[in-house]
Amino acid sequence: MELNSIKDAFDRVTKKQKLSCSKSQEVIEQIGQEIEQALSRIQSGQDSASPSDHKLILNELKAKLKEIAPLSQLESTQKELNVALSKYPKLLEKSFNPDISKAYRNIDFDIHAVNQIIANHFYREGRFDLGDCFVDETKEPEAALMKSPFVEMFHILEAMKSRNLEPALNWAANNHEQLTQNGSDIELKLHRLQFVEILQNRGRDEALKYARAFLAPFATKHMAEIQKLMACLLWAGRLDSSPYAELLSSIHWDKLAEELTREFCNLIGQSYESPLSVTIAAGVQGLPTLLKLMNVMTGKKHEWQSMKQLPVPVDLDREFQFHSIFVCPVSRDQASEENPPMLLSCGHVLCKQSITKLSKNNSTRPFKCPYCPSEVEAGQCRQLYF
Amino acid sequence: MSSPMEIEAQLPNGNSTAATAINPPSKLGKLAESLKLEHQFLRVPFEHYKKMIRANHRAVEKEVSAIISGVSDFEDSNRSRDETVNQLNSLVSRLQGFKRKLEEESRTEQLQAQRCRARLDHLESAEVDNLPEWNSIRLKRILVDYMLRMSYYGTASKLAESSNIKQDLVDEDVFFEARKVIDALKKKEVAPALAWCADNKSRLKKSKSKFEFQLRLQEFIELVRAENNMQAISYARKYLAPWGATHMKELQRVMATLAFRSNTECVTYKVLFEAKQWDYLVDQFKQEFCKLYGMTLEPLLNIYLQAGLSALKTPFCYEDDCTKEDPLSQESFRKLALPLPYSKQHHSKLVCYITKELMDTENPPLVLPNGYVYSTKALEEMAKQNDGKITCPRTGFVCDYTDVVKAFIS
Ligand SMILES: [Zn+2]
Ligand SMILES: [Zn+2]
Repeated sequence: MELNSIKDAFDRVTKKQKLSCSKSQEVIEQIGQEIEQALSRIQSGQDSASPSDHKLILNELKAKLKEIAPLSQLESTQKELNVALSKYPKLLEKSFNPDISKAYRNIDFDIHAVNQIIANHFYREGRFDLGDCFVDETKEPEAALMKSPFVEMFHILEAMKSRNLEPALNWAANNHEQLTQNGSDIELKLHRLQFVEILQNRGRDEALKYARAFLAPFATKHMAEIQKLMACLLWAGRLDSSPYAELLSSIHWDKLAEELTREFCNLIGQSYESPLSVTIAAGVQGLPTLLKLMNVMTGKKHEWQSMKQLPVPVDLDREFQFHSIFVCPVSRDQASEENPPMLLSCGHVLCKQSITKLSKNNSTRPFKCPYCPSEVEAGQCRQLYF
Repeated sequence: MSSPMEIEAQLPNGNSTAATAINPPSKLGKLAESLKLEHQFLRVPFEHYKKMIRANHRAVEKEVSAIISGVSDFEDSNRSRDETVNQLNSLVSRLQGFKRKLEEESRTEQLQAQRCRARLDHLESAEVDNLPEWNSIRLKRILVDYMLRMSYYGTASKLAESSNIKQDLVDEDVFFEARKVIDALKKKEVAPALAWCADNKSRLKKSKSKFEFQLRLQEFIELVRAENNMQAISYARKYLAPWGATHMKELQRVMATLAFRSNTECVTYKVLFEAKQWDYLVDQFKQEFCKLYGMTLEPLLNIYLQAGLSALKTPFCYEDDCTKEDPLSQESFRKLALPLPYSKQHHSKLVCYITKELMDTENPPLVLPNGYVYSTKALEEMAKQNDGKITCPRTGFVCDYTDVVKAFIS
């Protein structure tokens, strides 16, 4: 971002502030010197000096201080500083969006839901200390609901970091059915990694024993994979110089840890990415559009508060696209259950209502596709499911 | 990146003038737009800095005037020489003490200036390449802002500390000032709040704030509650009367409580004695405080959450098959999004059910004979794995890969 002009404006502020600071010190210094001088003059006067002498000196001191005019000295530097101080925030207001709450709807935002989301966010990031502290401070013990599954997940991941697959394997075995149902082969991947570890560190016999016990059940579905692993037995202890050296790469550990996180979250009904991070990121991308909208909607604040759908599209990156949205190219309506997308025989897609209109509600009377020269019939259109 | 609307340009009929795709803003452009949202991030430490400067300057002026009038004072009075020497000596040591204080305060000012500067540098450091890390810090800043506003100081401090943003990137110290007032109001003490009003008198006046009046009303109510009627009346004369010109109605209403007393059943006056009036004062203070520092009146978290939820919300989100990756598949997010508007699309955006990838020119949608649509990539892969057979994952319908047809989405 181009911040140079803002930086310059700020540097002007600090420069004037330093000037004003040294001016204050200078003025104080000056006053001090005058007073000390007067003091030494009085003290150096002879003891017998008449009482009016020190009065005279005091009088002179008073005149001197008046001459220095400390307050007006201070005033002039302060004035310059004030100019810089009031310019800078104006520049900020011009360069930035001074009030991003303009597009905020004044509705009751459920604090408990927000707090639960935050606690969940900390737990899923493995920040259990923060999560506990937050739950404690907000006095919302129910916000800790998701803590224990995430404790288990991080326990597994921690163990994997020190090359211990035991907790991961236990978890996979306990959730065998669900994992298979979801089409996940993570259990096999865990066993494969364990097999390679054993082969490398504990030798061929142990590895063979392990393979018989844990890899054999996967033989029917993953024959090629199993064959490859069994061939590794030929290079027991020197796998690193074999055609299968790649199996030893630590990448497999990182990848598997990521996949395990994904599957684990899936099983406990959570997303892989923190939903809080996702929503805030979407908010950061969407807010500029909403704020522009509010600029053209000034005076219609009330309308904004009750709107059922945003009047303008908010363009988000593709990672935020979770659903298929079909917009009819003819009517610009979003398809719905009542008005589904239909495939014309030429391959173009329109929504049902547009087809009814184009065919004048006659299912056998051919009409011209708006996007190609084909003649099509409403009766031959097929509903699509995205 | 091509969007689905560009498919039109490749139609078989050669009618391809419709390549109306508006170039979506570049990554860099989006980043610049998002940085423009960071007004509060720069403004708050600056307001704090300004406040320090003003307070220090006032202190200097006050001290200088005091010294000068001190000199004139004992010049006027008839003092002995020794007395004069003593007086001047005490002035000298007073000045020395003040000089030390001044130096110390100027150091705090420098520190605050550095903090303002660090924020500019932090904004400048945001680049497309380091965006994930930068965004993660932004989320932490937003969370700390929320916690400070909600008085969850412990977690705020812990989070800031552990993310290395405590020093420069969050406003804990600013909220520390608010904390004193809020804690006191929660204990039904108004003195710190009144002191705060006095400190910020001119700015509160400028924004036509009636917070001080509300505090005074509450103090008056407490006197009535304690049946200190005489005291209440003299309090009203001193502190409420000056507000009469601008807030007569409220003034009269509250004065009437003298007649009704605290056990009144009359609704108009009963509410004035309720404990929640104190909560209301806390909210009122927070609003004034935020205004004064150039903060948004709502926590940043709520603002970004609302915007994000509106941008993400579709009618499909409240159905059972909403994907887990969608925040709106979670109950708490759904709850927050309920009163918010749905997003709007001007062009189709189709996501493959199997791969979750966008279906566009490079990966066009294919239709099974049963009307279900999947991406080319997904069906090609499935056909390769299953000898050309396709099984619809949603219905179990089986067909040949040769039976699928292309759909043209405009
Ligand atoms: Zn057509
Ligand atoms: Zn959804």
